[in-house]
Amino acid sequence: MKGNRIAITGVGETPFLRKGAEPLMQMMVRASLAAIADAGLKPSDIDGYIGNRMTPGSDDLGPAIGMKDRAFSAVCDVAGGTASAGQALILAQLAIEAGLATHVLVPYGIQSTKPGGVYGFHAKEPLKAALEMPVGFFGQPTYFASMANRYAHDHGMSEEELASVAITYRKWAVITPSAQRREPMGLEEYRQTQMISTPLRVADCCLTTDAACAYVVSAVERAKDMPHPVVQLAGVGIGTNNFPHGVLFTQNPCTYEYPGEASAKKAYAMAGVDPKDLDLAQVYDGFSISALVQTEMLGLCERGEGAKFYHAGHAAPGGRMPVNTSGGHMSGGYVPGINLLIEGVRQLRGQEGERQVPDARICGVAGLGGNSHSTAILTRN
Amino acid sequence: MGIPNYPIHLEDPQLQGFYDGLAAGELRLTADPDTGEWVWYPPEVVPGKPDTTLEWRAVSPEGSAYTFTTVTRSLLPGDHREEVPFTVVLFESDDAPGCRVPGVLVDADGVEPRCGMRLRFRPVPVGDHVIAGFQPA
Repeated sequence: MKGNRIAITGVGETPFLRKGAEPLMQMMVRASLAAIADAGLKPSDIDGYIGNRMTPGSDDLGPAIGMKDRAFSAVCDVAGGTASAGQALILAQLAIEAGLATHVLVPYGIQSTKPGGVYGFHAKEPLKAALEMPVGFFGQPTYFASMANRYAHDHGMSEEELASVAITYRKWAVITPSAQRREPMGLEEYRQTQMISTPLRVADCCLTTDAACAYVVSAVERAKDMPHPVVQLAGVGIGTNNFPHGVLFTQNPCTYEYPGEASAKKAYAMAGVDPKDLDLAQVYDGFSISALVQTEMLGLCERGEGAKFYHAGHAAPGGRMPVNTSGGHMSGGYVPGINLLIEGVRQLRGQEGERQVPDARICGVAGLGGNSHSTAILTRN
Repeated sequence: MGIPNYPIHLEDPQLQGFYDGLAAGELRLTADPDTGEWVWYPPEVVPGKPDTTLEWRAVSPEGSAYTFTTVTRSLLPGDHREEVPFTVVLFESDDAPGCRVPGVLVDADGVEPRCGMRLRFRPVPVGDHVIAGFQPA
């Protein structure tokens, strides 16, 4: 697969809400229509659909948005940010280059307030139910907290350094009108948020959000005649490990070793660029610990230096490598992976007002989900 | 410090072997009888060997903590506010490095939990069941 063949030509989303009134389907239709309109297209122009195993498929959503010919449809097999910020792009390029589709829609929605809660799927995993829940090892914040303590043991990490991840993203959210949490947060305000599992506080966790996002993918040649500056996919890579969900948080030899280096290596090679060429990055911030480790894996700093990188202010507004410029998942909104990819597209279009990164031409997007990871390199043509 | 109290759900019956071990005062892990290698946690199907049934074998109660976290807000389904805080450790027996057993840190008043701390296995009764506990060695 070669880079610079497809472009993200339309993006759209619904408001990021702590608790929304609309069902998932309605939000996904709204986001899809917004993305299609942003691309200067009509719903009937969309002939490709890439869904997700967690959300409605094209059988239902296609008619609801007014698609006529669903010539190509596929479902991402992986979870979370890997799907919407990586695997969907690969599938879209395959479909477009094979001539199976002209404009491919990628929608993704989440209803964090659904019955059963955000951790309900963990309780259904037999190994967790039998071995972990009876001793209280349960829920993402607890899993990632145990990684953070091991990371601190291996590399050293002070409370202030860990806090600087959340504080950095909040600084971006303060200047992002659509962000879910915009009140300023310094170390004192960070310390006032509830501790969940040491060392992770509420402020170290992604938000719970009800919202949907969508984007449209088209061939680069076609994108040149569409409304926005061409933002193309220069490189993309997927990394995986062989630790299924039931053992991922305990038995991986290093529990915070996500397959991010492998995905970044593939994406950079395909794009023909280095980490130092990036103007900004979007990093999947389910938790502060996983964000800072992926920041290292993306090559923005050395391994073991992620927390210090944030603490030094490099990723903050005005820093040398802006990261999560709309507040990320921890302060902006949590629609796994896809709202970070969309922020990357908007930054490269160059019209983000106060938070615009000057002369942004190359953006790295890291997506984590389960035991897979994606890196996408977006460039402005 | 508190102790979590949540029922044990054994959807996969082979996991009963772990609790049979606790009842006998032993920490037992699963191994491949053909190779003698640990296979932990026990998967529903041993990778590449669908006919293999794993064996439960006792391991040394002495070991160390790979990592830990002190839970101050339990995310278990239901109301568990009375049970926090408690500290969960991922324990590695000296006999099975890399095979991690989650358990509760007990008898550790005044002890700061840390990665690498030496621990000793101890079954802990909670209500009508027994869970894995580990105390500073």
